[in-house]
Amino acid sequence: MKTSNGFILYIQEILTGAKSLAVGLWITLKRLFSPIVTVQYPRKKLTMTPNFRGHIEAIRFDDTKTHHCVACGLCARICPSHVIKVQGEKTKAGDKKIGRHYVIDFSKCSHCGLCVDVCPEQTLKFSREYELVYYSRWDTVIDLMQRLEERP
Amino acid sequence: MLNIKTIDDATVNQRVYQLNLGPQHPSTHGVMHLLVTLDGEVVIKIEPIIGYSHRGHEKMAENRIYEQFLPNPARMDYLSGMIFNHGYCMAVEKLCGIEVPRRAEYIRVITSELNRIASHFIGAMDYAMGLGAITPFLWGWDDREQILDLLEGIAGSRLTYSYGRFGGVRNDIDQAFYNGTRRFIDRLRGRFWDYENLINQNIIFIKRSKGVGVISKEDALTYGVTGPSLRGSGVKYDVRKNEPYSAYPEFNFEIPTREAGDCLARYQVRMAEIEQSLNIIEQALDHLPPGPVRSKVPRFVTPPEGECYLTFESARGAVGFYIVSDGSRIPYRIKVRAPSFSNLFAMTKICPGHFLADVIAIFGSIDVTVPEIDR
Repeated sequence: MKTSNGFILYIQEILTGAKSLAVGLWITLKRLFSPIVTVQYPRKKLTMTPNFRGHIEAIRFDDTKTHHCVACGLCARICPSHVIKVQGEKTKAGDKKIGRHYVIDFSKCSHCGLCVDVCPEQTLKFSREYELVYYSRWDTVIDLMQRLEERP
Repeated sequence: MLNIKTIDDATVNQRVYQLNLGPQHPSTHGVMHLLVTLDGEVVIKIEPIIGYSHRGHEKMAENRIYEQFLPNPARMDYLSGMIFNHGYCMAVEKLCGIEVPRRAEYIRVITSELNRIASHFIGAMDYAMGLGAITPFLWGWDDREQILDLLEGIAGSRLTYSYGRFGGVRNDIDQAFYNGTRRFIDRLRGRFWDYENLINQNIIFIKRSKGVGVISKEDALTYGVTGPSLRGSGVKYDVRKNEPYSAYPEFNFEIPTREAGDCLARYQVRMAEIEQSLNIIEQALDHLPPGPVRSKVPRFVTPPEGECYLTFESARGAVGFYIVSDGSRIPYRIKVRAPSFSNLFAMTKICPGHFLADVIAIFGSIDVTVPEIDR
């Protein structure tokens, strides 16, 4: 009596197990007829959201037709990786300082956005570039002011 | 000389032998080295050897100002980076006495819970993959991808967010995020049926996880296990309920627990927590208060002399941030209590007596993040 009971349980287990596998395969099969969720990357590209954080860029303002950087160096001070270097000059004594060179090595940048937050003139923004591949490490060292002039 | 233990010469030519599982092993979630002593196929002793991804985050904190440490907590546990980021901000706010606007608290809760769901998906589905099922892993990543897209829309990054700031969050959430989160909640609720049939009912999954790796209630408390692994052992402890922080006291949610303490129970707790997180997000979106998202905080914070300890619930358990300030802009010491470390060493107690294949199951069900153990 006991053995036959065990035998029935054994058969039941096999049947429920086979059923669970069939249900799992059915769910997998349903996937064939649902839309594709991946993006075929080199042929199709995603657009980045407005908040996307690439490397930083200087903003061109309409009133001065250039950036507002005063070379205060707060971004260089707050940068966790110390990759920012700012140089400015005064055109005449007693005048406001103007940023001339803003060099950043964004291969070491962690895109945390602290420099954008801390800027008192709000002249920094994030670029939307995400395909950052170069032949040399020195290609990742860019001058933001030069870049601003080159790209209208 | 490196103090790395390898196979011992004395044990050669005997029945008992040692096996190095890792450090480069696909099932160890990173660079984790397990030195397993085996008798045939049965584990006698297991010794996790950690330190392969030690980067010295705590030492780094002593050499930089409080703001500069903001990107680092997300790099400790990269799967729940948002929660760690907010946790560090909360610790510094507690030290300085900074008030956080209510809207910012709500946004922190929403983003943290989204991040928790994403992390639990990795934990649960990676466990299923460790048992040999690839389909649920890809399904889980499909759902996780929706969360990453949502968080990218507001935080700008997909994994290491750096979204929290002292006194609030970096930017406000927009209508697209609001609608997207609503849509995501509806979509995920509709997919629980598939997960139930795909994994929970699957005979292979149940056979491999039921009764395997039982952590008893006493062991869990002795080893300091926290998070879903503790709740899987029947202890109803969650920092969000027991020591409430942020806006969590304002929400209605339950702490799912299971009595069994085995791998299946830990998996079930994770899946149940995903549903609870969805409830929290829905409530937070319903009652999202208007107002600013960041209070007025000096550009460089200077905390007063003193120390503070803040604990919060990450996806893996209770994390603690202990900050000692000497009154300057640079922290004197930051100590992080990582839950993965305690959870991992419970393995040394439960693994002996199991087969080697079950070690992978236990390791996956505890769901550790290796960089968080080493920091």
